[in-house]
Amino acid sequence: MRIRNFWAAILIALPLAFMAAFFLVPFLVTVTASLQTADGAWTLANYKKIVADSYYPGIFYTTFKLSLISTIVSFLIGYPIAYYIVNMVESRSARRVCYVLVIMPLFTSNIVRSFGWLILLGRQGLVNQAMVAMGIIDRPVPILFTETAIVIGLAYILVPFMVLTISSVLQTIDRSLVEASLDLGSSRLATFLHITLPLSLPGVIAGSLIVFTLAVSAYVVPAIMSGGRVVVMAMPIFDNYATLFDFNFGAALAVGLLIVTLILIALYLLFIERRGRSQIARQS
Amino acid sequence: MSIVDRIARLFVILLAWAGLVFLALPLVIIVATSFTETEFLKFPPVGFTWRWYGRFLEDQSYLSAIWTSVSIAGLATAIAVVIGVLVALVIARSELKGRQLLNTIFIAPLILPTIVIGAALLQYANALGFARSFFALVVGHTVIVVPYVLRTVLASLERFDQSLEEASFDLGGNAVSTFFLVTLPIIKPGLVAGALFAFIISWINVELSIFNATAQLMPIPVKLFNYVQYAVDPMLAAVSAATIYVAVLAVIVLDILVGIDRVAASQK
Repeated sequence: MRIRNFWAAILIALPLAFMAAFFLVPFLVTVTASLQTADGAWTLANYKKIVADSYYPGIFYTTFKLSLISTIVSFLIGYPIAYYIVNMVESRSARRVCYVLVIMPLFTSNIVRSFGWLILLGRQGLVNQAMVAMGIIDRPVPILFTETAIVIGLAYILVPFMVLTISSVLQTIDRSLVEASLDLGSSRLATFLHITLPLSLPGVIAGSLIVFTLAVSAYVVPAIMSGGRVVVMAMPIFDNYATLFDFNFGAALAVGLLIVTLILIALYLLFIERRGRSQIARQS
Repeated sequence: MSIVDRIARLFVILLAWAGLVFLALPLVIIVATSFTETEFLKFPPVGFTWRWYGRFLEDQSYLSAIWTSVSIAGLATAIAVVIGVLVALVIARSELKGRQLLNTIFIAPLILPTIVIGAALLQYANALGFARSFFALVVGHTVIVVPYVLRTVLASLERFDQSLEEASFDLGGNAVSTFFLVTLPIIKPGLVAGALFAFIISWINVELSIFNATAQLMPIPVKLFNYVQYAVDPMLAAVSAATIYVAVLAVIVLDILVGIDRVAASQK
C-alpha cells in the first residue's frame, strides 16, 4: 500500500504539531534562555559562570569520569551475558529465562533498583558479610555513599541496555564464518577473538553510546547511592530549576551538559573511525 | 575442543551467570526484606509478615500516587500509540520527502538526556502557565515514550508482506478498511510490545517527572524517591516490591503475547 503525499501530510500533521509544541519548541526555549539574563537581555554570563571557577568543571569531570567507568563496567558484565544467550544457550525456553532476567530490572524504576543496592552494600549488608566470610576483608568497609557505590548502581542500571544492544548484533553474525574458521583449524578462542568479537563491535559501540548518555544524565542513582555526598551534573541542573528558580543558569548547565556529551561522543566515533582505517591500511 | 577452549567456555558460562545473578540479586533482596518482622530493613528477613504491605495499602497517599502514575502512563501510552502508528505508516508507506528527518525527530527523545527534556518542559510550561500540572506530566511522558512505539511498529511494518495489503485493495477495500482489517491485525504484536514498553518506561520515570510533580500530584516513583532520601524502612521495601510485581506481570504478558526473546531482539 502506498500512501499518497497529500494524505501522508495530513496523517503526519498532528503528530508533528504535538512534537513541535512539547519537544522541539521547549528545547529551543531552553537554549535561548541559556543565552539570556532573567530580564531577557542577551548575554554569555550564564556560560561564563560555569567556567568561572573550578566548581562546575569539577562536577563535569566527576560526572564524565563516573559515566565512563560505569560504561566500561557494564560492557565487561554485559558482553559475556549477551554472548552466552546468543551463542551458547541451546533451548528457546532457557533463552527466555535469561531474557526475563535481563528485562526484569529494566521494568523497575531506578529508585527501586538503587534501593536494592542500598540494602546490599550497607555495613551489615550482604556484600560486606560475604567479603568478611570469604576472608577478603577483616571487617566491614564503607561502600555506600562513595563513588564506587555510584558506579555499582549505574552499571546495574546500564547492563540490560548493553546486553540487548550487543545481543541484537551478535544474532546477525553469519554462523558460516565461525564454522569456516573452526573448519580451518582455529581454536574456538581464536575464532572468537578474530571473527566474532570484531564483527560484534558495532553493537558494542551502539551500546556504549546509549549507556554513556544515560549515565551522564542520571540523577536518581547518584543521589541515592552517594546519599548526596557526590555531586553530578544532573543535581545542580535540577536544583536551579526546582529550588533556586534560576531558569537561565539551569538552562546553561543543561545545554552545557548536552554539548560536552555530544563532543565526547563525536571524539569517540572519530577515534573508532581512525582506528578502523589504520587497521585496514595495515592489513592491505 | 581443546583444553583451552573448554576452560574458556566454562569461564564464559561462569561470567554470564554471575552477571545474571548480579541482575536478579537486588530485586530478590527487596522482595525478601519486604516480609521481615523486624522494624528495620534486614536481610535475610526475620520471620514472615504481610504487615508492611498492609501499612502501605492503608496509606491513602500511596494509593493516590499509584493512581497518578497509572493514569499518566495510560494516557501517555494511548497518545503515543496513535502518534507512533501514524508516523510509522508515513515513514514506511509513503514517498513524502524528509522521512529520515521525521524518524530522527521522533526518536530524538531517546538520545537526549531525560533531565534536559524535563528541564526544558518545565521552563516552557512555566512560560505558558501549565507548569506542574497533570497535563504537563502527560505530554512530557508522551514525548519520551513515542520512540518505543515507533520503533517496534516501524519494524513490523517493514517486515510484513505488502502483497496482503494489495490483495485487500484488489478485493475492493479502501485505505481505511485495509488498515483496520489487514495492516493493524498484522502489526498488532509489535504494537502491543511497543505499547507495553511505553507504559513501563512512563510508569518507572523519575528524571522527567520530578520537574513537574507537586506534593498533590506525585507519581509513585517520585514519591518513593522523596521517601528513600529521608527514611529507609521495610514499608519502603513493600512498596518497591509491589512495583517489582507489576514488572513481573508485564514481562509475563509480553512473553505470552509476543515471546520475550523476540521482544528483546526488537529493542536496541
